Amino acid sequence: MYYDSFDVWWWPYFFIFVAGILPTAIWRWVGVVLVGNLDESSQWLVMVRCVATALVAAVVAQFVFEPSGALASFPFGLRLGAAAAGFAAFLWLGRRLLIGILVAELVLLGGYGLLQLSG
Amino acid sequence: MSSPDFSTPSGVYDWSWFARGMANLFSLPALILVSAFIGFGGLAREAGVPLLQLIFMVPTIWALPSHLLLVGGIASGAPMLAIIAAVALAAIRMLPMTMALIPEIRTPRSKNWHLMLVANMIAITAWVHTLQKAPNIPREGRLPYFAGFAGTMMVTTTFAAALVHQLASAFPPFVMAGLYFLTPMYFAISTWNTARFRAEHLALIFGFCLGPAFYMIVPQANILFAGLVGGLAAYLIHWQGNRSRGG
Repeated sequence: MYYDSFDVWWWPYFFIFVAGILPTAIWRWVGVVLVGNLDESSQWLVMVRCVATALVAAVVAQFVFEPSGALASFPFGLRLGAAAAGFAAFLWLGRRLLIGILVAELVLLGGYGLLQLSG
Repeated sequence: MSSPDFSTPSGVYDWSWFARGMANLFSLPALILVSAFIGFGGLAREAGVPLLQLIFMVPTIWALPSHLLLVGGIASGAPMLAIIAAVALAAIRMLPMTMALIPEIRTPRSKNWHLMLVANMIAITAWVHTLQKAPNIPREGRLPYFAGFAGTMMVTTTFAAALVHQLASAFPPFVMAGLYFLTPMYFAISTWNTARFRAEHLALIFGFCLGPAFYMIVPQANILFAGLVGGLAAYLIHWQGNRSRGG
């Protein structure tokens, strides 16, 4: 079944509910149920956190390597350079979110501006 | 301030903290989150998601990685089952996050349905902030404080995303590109910051490298594979390290 499988008004909402809302919310509910019984530092939980973190990192990589929309018209090297510069600035300039994001945006948009000027 | 929906007559919670939670709307993490959802509004428009469906999905899903996987899946025409699997795996983060937050914000008289309800508001921004602030808030004020912050963010981001969905074509493309780029930077940095184990840092690096690698082999499910392989590899290294230290 696909997003455009049925041409009725409620189908997209049902699709969003089943493919987006339920698979997200279920973990919150399970968390509330389990919270009394499971040790915070249990090995199982460490493994779960690792898989979840790697998934988010893969989503991040998608923005850099295979973005859609407006980002796709920026050169790959610029996207990678901006992400790397932002993250490096975050790591080595006091672990501040704002610094990481500002540096990334500065490199991305500044680099784009320079490319427009030179080419 | 009091809310008859939540508190019993004896008053389980101190709702004056709700407004103090709301006041976090004017903070840097809130600003970044709103900007990220401005970008998401533009992405959803490009993917062909209509306005009402966008307004429906922002507060009900309430987890940006899930939003992106769903809208990305819709845009690429992925089958429902593949989207469910990717969203469910990415949202596993919600499980340990919920289990870390609930003991901090519940009171001895909290009912389970209070917690079920408030758990639906758990997402990274208000979660990180409330965990940090909780020791300085009386126990009765913690759940209202969290609900005040998270609820305000839900309303504001939905409004921002909807507005941009309608106005996106008025912005020059490089502005939209800059807004889209906020999301991955925000994810990468906040995930790195909230990691409690060294293995999670390793998982972040593995996932970033394996995502594009698997794209060349299984372009429809690369996120899924990168998450499973990268996450388990990071965990095994962590486990080996613990064993060799005798821990």
